[in-house]
Amino acid sequence: MEQKPIDIRADKIAIKGASLMGPRSGLPTSVESDKDGKITRIRPYYYDKDFEWESLNPWKIEAKGRTFEPPRHSVPAAFYLSYKKRVYSENRVKYPLKRVDWDPNGERNTQNRGKSRYVRISWDEAAQIIADELLRVRAEYGMSCVLAEADMHGEGKHMAPSHGCMNRLLSLLGGYTVQMRNQDSWEGYSWGSKNVWGGEPVGEMQPSGNLWPDIAKNAELLLLWGADPEVTPVGFDGYMASRLSQWIHSLGIKYTYVDPALNYSGCYQADKWIPILPNTDAALLLAIAYVWLTEDAYDKAYVETHAIGYQEFFDYVLGKEDGEPKTAKWASEKCGVPPWTIKALARDWATKITSFTIGNGGPGIRGPFATEPARLQSILMGMQGIGKPGQHHAKWLEWNLHTDTFPMPHQPQGKFEIPHRAEIVRPPSAQADYIVGDLITDSRVASKEAEFYKVGREDGRYRVTANAKKVPELAELLKILEIPPQQSIPKCLVHDAILDGKTDWWGLYSFCGPAEEQWEHHIYPAPGCSRIHMIWTDSPCMVTCWNDGFRIVKAFRDPSVECIVAQQPWLENDCILADIVLPVQTKFELEDICEDNGSGVISCAYHEQPACPPVGESLDDFDCVAEVARKLGEDIYNAYTGNKMPKEKVLELFYQGSGIVPLDPNDDFHKKGIVVFPCVPDIQDFEKYPPGLRTFADDPEAHPLTTPSGKLEFTSTKIQECFPDDKERPPFPKWIEKSPLHDERLTGERAKKYPLLCMSNHGRWRFHANLDDVTWHREVETMKIRGKDGYQYEAAWINPKTAAERNIAYGDVVKVFNERGVVLCAAYVTERLMEQVVYVDHGARFDPVDAENLDRGGAINLITPTAITSKTVTGMVVSGFLVEVQKVTDAEMESWKKQFPDSFGRKVDEGCGVCLDGWLIDEQRAGGEANV
Amino acid sequence: MSKVFVIDAAKCNGCYSCQMACKDEHAGNDWMPYSKPQPDIGQFWMKLKDETCGSVPKVRVKYTPTLCNHCEKPVCKDVCPNDAIYVREDGFVIIDPARCKGCKKCAAACPYEAIYFNEGLAISQKCTGCAHLLDNGYELPRCVEMCPTNAIIFGEADALADDVLGAQMLKPEEGLHPRVYYRNLPGQFISGTVYDPDAEEVLIGVRCRAISGGKLLETFTDAYGDFWFNDLAIGKWDVFIEAIGFKQKAYYELRTTECINLGDIALEKV
Repeated sequence: MEQKPIDIRADKIAIKGASLMGPRSGLPTSVESDKDGKITRIRPYYYDKDFEWESLNPWKIEAKGRTFEPPRHSVPAAFYLSYKKRVYSENRVKYPLKRVDWDPNGERNTQNRGKSRYVRISWDEAAQIIADELLRVRAEYGMSCVLAEADMHGEGKHMAPSHGCMNRLLSLLGGYTVQMRNQDSWEGYSWGSKNVWGGEPVGEMQPSGNLWPDIAKNAELLLLWGADPEVTPVGFDGYMASRLSQWIHSLGIKYTYVDPALNYSGCYQADKWIPILPNTDAALLLAIAYVWLTEDAYDKAYVETHAIGYQEFFDYVLGKEDGEPKTAKWASEKCGVPPWTIKALARDWATKITSFTIGNGGPGIRGPFATEPARLQSILMGMQGIGKPGQHHAKWLEWNLHTDTFPMPHQPQGKFEIPHRAEIVRPPSAQADYIVGDLITDSRVASKEAEFYKVGREDGRYRVTANAKKVPELAELLKILEIPPQQSIPKCLVHDAILDGKTDWWGLYSFCGPAEEQWEHHIYPAPGCSRIHMIWTDSPCMVTCWNDGFRIVKAFRDPSVECIVAQQPWLENDCILADIVLPVQTKFELEDICEDNGSGVISCAYHEQPACPPVGESLDDFDCVAEVARKLGEDIYNAYTGNKMPKEKVLELFYQGSGIVPLDPNDDFHKKGIVVFPCVPDIQDFEKYPPGLRTFADDPEAHPLTTPSGKLEFTSTKIQECFPDDKERPPFPKWIEKSPLHDERLTGERAKKYPLLCMSNHGRWRFHANLDDVTWHREVETMKIRGKDGYQYEAAWINPKTAAERNIAYGDVVKVFNERGVVLCAAYVTERLMEQVVYVDHGARFDPVDAENLDRGGAINLITPTAITSKTVTGMVVSGFLVEVQKVTDAEMESWKKQFPDSFGRKVDEGCGVCLDGWLIDEQRAGGEANV
Repeated sequence: MSKVFVIDAAKCNGCYSCQMACKDEHAGNDWMPYSKPQPDIGQFWMKLKDETCGSVPKVRVKYTPTLCNHCEKPVCKDVCPNDAIYVREDGFVIIDPARCKGCKKCAAACPYEAIYFNEGLAISQKCTGCAHLLDNGYELPRCVEMCPTNAIIFGEADALADDVLGAQMLKPEEGLHPRVYYRNLPGQFISGTVYDPDAEEVLIGVRCRAISGGKLLETFTDAYGDFWFNDLAIGKWDVFIEAIGFKQKAYYELRTTECINLGDIALEKV
């Protein structure tokens, strides 16, 4: 018996980008659809299908007798493999929605945001309401009363970007207030390390060219310090980091993990796991410095020629400043690592050729005073001679950002960048007492990176590239908006700004601005500007990704916020605080032009065709805003749409203005729908393309850093000058036990009530707030565990001993709480986490029971600290904070159900959890019974 | 033309792509006459199993992708009263959805727990090896294609002879002759950190021996004072730790039914 072969050929294959980085579009995948337009399967793209592989001059790294080569296909992560679940999610917004008890002409019931449900309205009605509201608030308060929340990440789209389309319209109406994204995943480096080694624009070590070939050839030990190659690279670049980490390890290079948890990389390839209490890394690093200083185990000659201000730092470490030598025993009490292990680590690091590797978003860099562990990393690498062979500070992701020579050898033979039709985080005008041009021409920041960001500040970071300017019609299309936002609010201070009506801060004038910005002070409202009275968000994830989410809810419920508009493909997180929700198409439904420079296999650009018809009445982001523009009159509409320029023309102009044309002599982009760029053949010639800080290491005078002194500043010239008495970010890094802003140590007073440290990382099964609804991810128990009531709770990792002390068993529904509120999770009892810690990834969808106090969805950021990193550091604190965990008793759950029948009555999908139906008024639900 | 899967546990990064690729291919997709759709949740024709072993800080996770073993002697076929299970020329064992009457006998008989009962369709289901794809010009089953680290490979038994050589099968005692082979499946471990409590220093290069039933293993502590006896068989082990100038530390009859972390071991000076 044998089957009759059936024909299962795909009726359509579309190339789709797989990155959720946001502005950039990512590695290509092949998306196959059937004749009805239903997505069948998502597969890697095979470069050798359309191109002769050898003609692409594929790279290889040779080291220690072994060779590492790229596969002949893209290596998408499970995130994209399961993306059709995102497209067809039960959580999709299928048509415009209005909050049922919000009446723009009557009672607005702002106190019911996050509680009241939604009714379906027509596009016509939705667009008219928004247009009317815009004109009303403009007349009443001026355009600066509109807060545009439009920052990354999200789907990488160019012609209809996920973020910033509304900025374009708001500019045409006279301006807006921009929500300025803080350096959310790398706060410590940006505000700390930048003052040690420059490292513009993000503060991590730069330049970062050829890092991985050099590490492979020369390193003996990698520290994975709060770094997980299996997690943070995935949302950007797919699984090349997994392949790389396995290959590097196969060379005999040892992997030592320093992390409260045995992370997803360490759990299968750690040579050593050193558990450390969250946000105590500074103590451990100081003790390592102490061992080196007292045992003469550092590169003295290098420090003398490459660093300044080291003696003060050394004196502090040795206890000469405060009478407290930073010994292993001293550190052990703070960080939970045994003194003998601290000393062993210090000696292993000093003895072996060591690179320090990071991954953004890990446990060590987003806590209170994150500047200190970051600066200590930079200084300790400096003490061992950073830039010498195999001695780098390297990141497992972003293999194309901020750098001329890539860290991986997939460098294409030419530069290109697809433009974006909207601008995301443009710096404001009213706060510009700070003259951008002058600063940038300062010789100290006249690096290539700074030049790049100079263009960014003036013209919009992602909008008008140099190549785009060469195509007049494109430049005109992109340039229409000469009005920048009038003022800004740091994203981590939005709640304060709304609730207090004012706020002030240091730095954060522009996103990834130069170090010089850190010494500038700003206020909100800026002179001549209004308070916020309307919010338009296309990045509605504040409650689950930013600081003190419950306070965000309170802010969004404030009567001063008269209208909230959200545009998003899915009804999630801040969307349920909005008054109007616009349905957005996912990129699978769109046509676009995209690029991949970062996945690390090989670079390409491609023409995305729609893989399926639009879901419901959804429109792309650009057209969502265009519908509102249409209601504002012909002039506005024409200006917004570039005189209704047809999309095929926009796409062609984007191609012409991307820099690809000279790299595409055979016109493969048009003929094949994809052009793959051959690699630079001699990119691993270290003479020509020196790895990392090699030239600085070789000759610091000829190749200075971008710091004021041009050297590694163990004591920062600028902090010494601007904030000499800063107790939280002193001129050289210290152990900061607590401050008026933060009391988040196990030794502190609050720990008596909240005796566990909560670690929160970037999730493995989500990309920030994305993908929480994917049924196939939710079956992985490190992410979700089905409670006995049938609800899939977010996994809260807890050590068996910590659990037993609380009578908590695997799978029990638990409450993670502190004075800011309660988040329900299920206990994932595991030996992969040390005691005294609970670990919950951020990004689970908010499922409010009591929207200001109790969440069932596991959105841990709801209870993260309110205060910023430190007084002069405008970053957020979302890991390393105090909580308690308790088992939820049946009686307690029953009492909540009685108290909040409507919340528990919302429908929850068995596979995807929170869903659209749950938030519609009963009459409009598609069907299905409410969960009990 | 007999096909085999070879799974290298040492290369598995635990990403679940195999499990999700299977869902992508089969959940919501009808590939009759090969298969009806896999339920969206709760059933796994390809299932990644993970097991966390040891205790803080000596912990490892063992990942094992599991699927129908496409046995040469498929007991499921033998017990099917409806003649619904057949073996293809390439070795794939298929449950014919049209003939299956949902008696569940096959699921009960399978020692690998690879067969699921689809309540909605009232039929038994399992991995088809993506035969529908292979018959239509695709080269690889989806779980194999999507594995980012090539931990799962697939092909003609002859072509993969080198990979099969020395590989294990799951539950060989069942005698069903699986076509799914495993390499580097980890055994149990005994580990610890040796230190001098007076000096608060780890002890490096300390001789550690493990003895079981006449088998002697020897290792030395590393730069962190750690020793690892890896890939141990389940049994009773005696462990001896001997450093010059310190009293010997001995552990008797450690049972390796689980991985054992002996913790931070303080040696007493002689």
